[in-house]
Amino acid sequence: MKNKLSNTGGTPDAPAPGRTTGAGRLLITVYGIFAISASARAGFQIATAFKDAPLAYLLSAFAAAVYIVATVSLARRGHKWAVAATVSICIELAGVLVVGLLSVFDARAFPHATVWSMFGQGYGYVPLVLPLVGLWWLYRHRDRAAAPK
Amino acid sequence: MTVDGWFYVGLVVGLASTIICVVAAVTRKKPNDITLVSLAGVELFILVYAGASLVRLATGEHLAGAGWEFWGYMFTAAALPVAGFYWAMMERTFWSNYVMGAVGVTVVVMMARMAQIWYGLSPAVQHLQPGIGQ
Repeated sequence: MKNKLSNTGGTPDAPAPGRTTGAGRLLITVYGIFAISASARAGFQIATAFKDAPLAYLLSAFAAAVYIVATVSLARRGHKWAVAATVSICIELAGVLVVGLLSVFDARAFPHATVWSMFGQGYGYVPLVLPLVGLWWLYRHRDRAAAPK
Repeated sequence: MTVDGWFYVGLVVGLASTIICVVAAVTRKKPNDITLVSLAGVELFILVYAGASLVRLATGEHLAGAGWEFWGYMFTAAALPVAGFYWAMMERTFWSNYVMGAVGVTVVVMMARMAQIWYGLSPAVQHLQPGIGQ
């Protein structure tokens, strides 16, 4: 069964795989989903129960902002955006490790859930794995990203 | 969380779409009628669920949680297949099937949250999620 939508993409001279194509699209998709859900969750927490735990909910908002920056910079071409993606994903990795460790060893400091609590347990540990995959992906495409467009 | 028929149907439709798309991606197929229709099925289900939820609320049922949170999830769930479709169609390689496969399973998670908001959280899980969906 032939399909109009799928037919035109099969040209032999498809663009060379780059940072924003192929598996990169899937990575950007997952980052985008986390950007949306973290933003929505932080917005809801701050709007309805900010007084309960201002620190945890500001942390949620910070995490959401990091995911948004990572999503956008992963999706953009060019060296500067690759650097921006690397920096934001390093911040993400540091965040999930620090908040994860704090929530394990000092549970009283983080009684209120954030995306990064317990190393992202509530999100299937995807928040822990995602920055590692992201950094690996950026490392694999470092030369291409540095080359002038 | 109480699970109802809507959740089970959403679970089947969402997971079916994800499985279809992932199988197509693993076998290196480009997005075709089957994977696109599975994505359209997820969208159709969300639209029907939204319409039925409006009817249920209009005929006297009540949400346990916040209405705008419920409809926020509904709106996002309805937008996901459309966004996934555009994002996948910008590049028609087998990777786009993975992108579309991410939509179904995400919608299932959102269905679970909507069921929690509709029926309320059971006390056993409430302490896990302070600040959301009382």
